[in-house]
Order: sequence, then C-alpha cells, then structure tokens
Amino acid sequence: MYLRVRKCIDWPCFWHVEALEVLLQGLSGVPKERVRVHELCLKSGPNLGVVPSEVRLLCDLAQPTPSWAIRHVGGAMRGAGAEQISVLVRTIVESKASKNVLQYFYTLGYKLDHELLKIGFAFHFHRGAQITVTVTSANKMPRLHATDEAVPVTPGIQLVEITAPAAADNYNDVVSAVTAFCEYLAPLLHLSKPGHSTGIVATAGAAAASLMSSGGGKTL
Amino acid sequence: MPPVKWLMHWHPSPGATLNTQILLEACGCAESLGGAKDGRWKTSIFFYRAMTRDGTAGPAGQQPGDLPRELLGVALHERPGLYFSIVRPAKLVLQADAAFTQVMEKLQSYKARVALHFEGFQYQLGDFCLRIGKCAANNSEALRGIMMEVEYYPLSSIEKSRAVMEDFFDVWQEAVAKKSLPGHFIHVESNFSEYGLTDQYSFQHTAVQYATCLQQLMAAGRG
Repeated sequence: MYLRVRKCIDWPCFWHVEALEVLLQGLSGVPKERVRVHELCLKSGPNLGVVPSEVRLLCDLAQPTPSWAIRHVGGAMRGAGAEQISVLVRTIVESKASKNVLQYFYTLGYKLDHELLKIGFAFHFHRGAQITVTVTSANKMPRLHATDEAVPVTPGIQLVEITAPAAADNYNDVVSAVTAFCEYLAPLLHLSKPGHSTGIVATAGAAAASLMSSGGGKTL
Repeated sequence: MPPVKWLMHWHPSPGATLNTQILLEACGCAESLGGAKDGRWKTSIFFYRAMTRDGTAGPAGQQPGDLPRELLGVALHERPGLYFSIVRPAKLVLQADAAFTQVMEKLQSYKARVALHFEGFQYQLGDFCLRIGKCAANNSEALRGIMMEVEYYPLSSIEKSRAVMEDFFDVWQEAVAKKSLPGHFIHVESNFSEYGLTDQYSFQHTAVQYATCLQQLMAAGRG
C-alpha cells in the first residue's frame, strides 16, 4: 500500500464513447481498465467538526475482492493564476482503507448524503505526467447500496475526466502535459474546466465514424 | 500474514514507582536469556478528540454516548505505511494508509491532541523477537509505563501459538523474578473477536493490543 497526496487536474466533458475508446486504445497501446466504483458521499452530522465536512468512500467493484478508499477533495485553487490556466487544480488526499470504513464513519457521526455507481473504463499514460483518462457514466441506486440495480442518472451521457497528480513545484509542467495530451482528443471532444462548457466539436461525427472504421488511432 | 504477538506491560508493586532502572533490568533479562540486541523500535498512539462547532469537547446536542468523544490512532513500527484508527466504545479498528492522518486534518471533525510513544530496544531470541520499551508522552521524558512485545515468528494462529507463548511467558517471568524488581509483567488478553478479528494474526490485532495495553498503563498510573 502507498499513500497518495496529490493535486489533481480535472478536465471533464461529454461525448461518444466507443470512438473515444478506440482513440484512447490506439494512443495507449494497452487494453482498457474496467471501472466500476461505488462512491458514497458522507457529510458530517450536526455540530460535528470545526466546519461542516464531506468525505467520499470509494469501493472498487472491478476487483475480484472489492477494495475501499477514503478520499477528501479540497476546494479548487483560486486567484488570478488559477484563472489563467486551462485546468482545475485541487488538493486530493486519498487513503486505502479496510472494508469497515463505512461503519467507521457512521460511528464518527457522518451521514450518507448520496451514493453513485460509476461504470466505464480508464486508460493510463506516461507522457510528461502520469495522466489518467476515465470515461464513466453515473448510475443511481433505487435502493440503498443496491449496486446491481443501478440505473444511469443521465442515459447516454458519459463523463470524460483527465487527471494527473502534481506537486506545488511542478504543476505548471503537469498543466502543460495535460494540455498537450488533450490535443490528441481534439478531433472528438473539447475538454474544459469543470463548470465551463465548451460545447461539442463540429467535426466529431465525421472523426468518430473514421475512427470506428479504421479501428484505432496512432500510437504515441 | 504477520507472526503472532503478545503485548505485556509492567505492573508496579503497590507503592513502587516506575523508573528507567526497571527498563534496563528488563533489557538485561532479555540478554541473560540469550537475546541479541539488533536495533531500536518506536510505535506511536495519537489521541483524537471530537471537535464541535460550538467549542464543546464532545458533540453537543447529541445523546451522551451517541458519538465517540475520542479516537485512537496507532502508527506501528513494523508497518510505517499503515495507520490504524480505533473507536473503543464501538469496538472498531480501521486499517488505512499513513495518508489517513491527512484526511483527518482536512476533515477537522476529530483532531489529534496528544501522542504517546512506545520505544526501546529489539532483541532476537531464536524464533522469538522481544521488544522492550518505555511509554512517554509527546515532548516529555516522564515515564508513563514500561511494556514489551513478544513475537513468535513461526506461527500466525493465536490459538495454535497459545501454549508456546505461555511457556515463553513463564520463562520470562522466572528471569524477571531473579532480579527482585518491584513489580512484574502482565499479559492482558485483548478480546479480538469483539473487534471482528479472527484467529489469524494481523496488524489490526497489534493495534488493538496497543489500545488494551494503553488502557492498562493508564489504569496503573491512576492506581
């Protein structure tokens, strides 16, 4: 096990899945990694904590034995510098945890706010930074924790996220690496900072059709 | 699977006080049994207090006992990458990464207040490893207790190792008795099943044993 303390650069958008998978497969040269994550968002109960707090518990259901992690997502970096760059920088602290972690946080006085099942795939790249691309759909459960009965929150829509860990002394380099990487996806989608919409790519339909017929993109 | 381990603490005779001489004598016992000193070790326990928006020590507006007022964080010497959090009233032990402490700092719902450190010397003795150490609070030289770990390398089953651990404990008590020290070592068995832990020894077992040992040391200190 290892600890991860990192700043992540998120850059989500929405688009056609299959063509994107073909493109990413071609770029990475390795098979996709299946993503099936049960995400539980917990909030502190009344009066607990100096300030209200929120913690996410992630159960990786893609593994033969589900594994758990605790994630704290900090606020986005602010200020003139943050506005000038094309990605969002936030502090993320994550720790693996034993399977009783949900019971643990309930005991501490945290309450379940909502839960989601994220289903999709991921690719990893080492190109100037450790870049991870995930393409997922968010699913909701009709009953508490009933992941087998999950249904899409927004059918047909996928979330594409590009993240890369960065430290205070190298995040400009990571921003450049992520920005450069996004150019490879430009035929299919424009990526934007979370909260900033860029709309769809006008030529995406043609690019997707071309990718699907050729069966892949160029290898990096 | 880590090998099975017993924790024992020093129980002073009535009226006797703790001092470092006892620690030295206990180390002498390990050497007299043929133990070879091969390093130092340190395990730390952190006390987390519940924080509240209205500044009370425990969460106000809740029924007493509803929420834990205190958590224990345990950083074991043998696995520095892991961290354990124990909620004693709920009999819960959580295993996490060392980054867990940073998650707790970010959440600001429970804050680490005091740290107790258990540190001392390690001895190899055949299939056994002995770690004898003192317990002291953060930034204080005052002795809060003396304790020891006994690890038996060949076995991970608590039940299967019970006889050999008991035999070793008898030999150890005999060696200590020869020194005519004002007190003796006690092994207080933790109730692992209450914490949902099985017969197969794990690092979580050690964390729970530290919580039990700490409780004993504090009770002895009050007594």
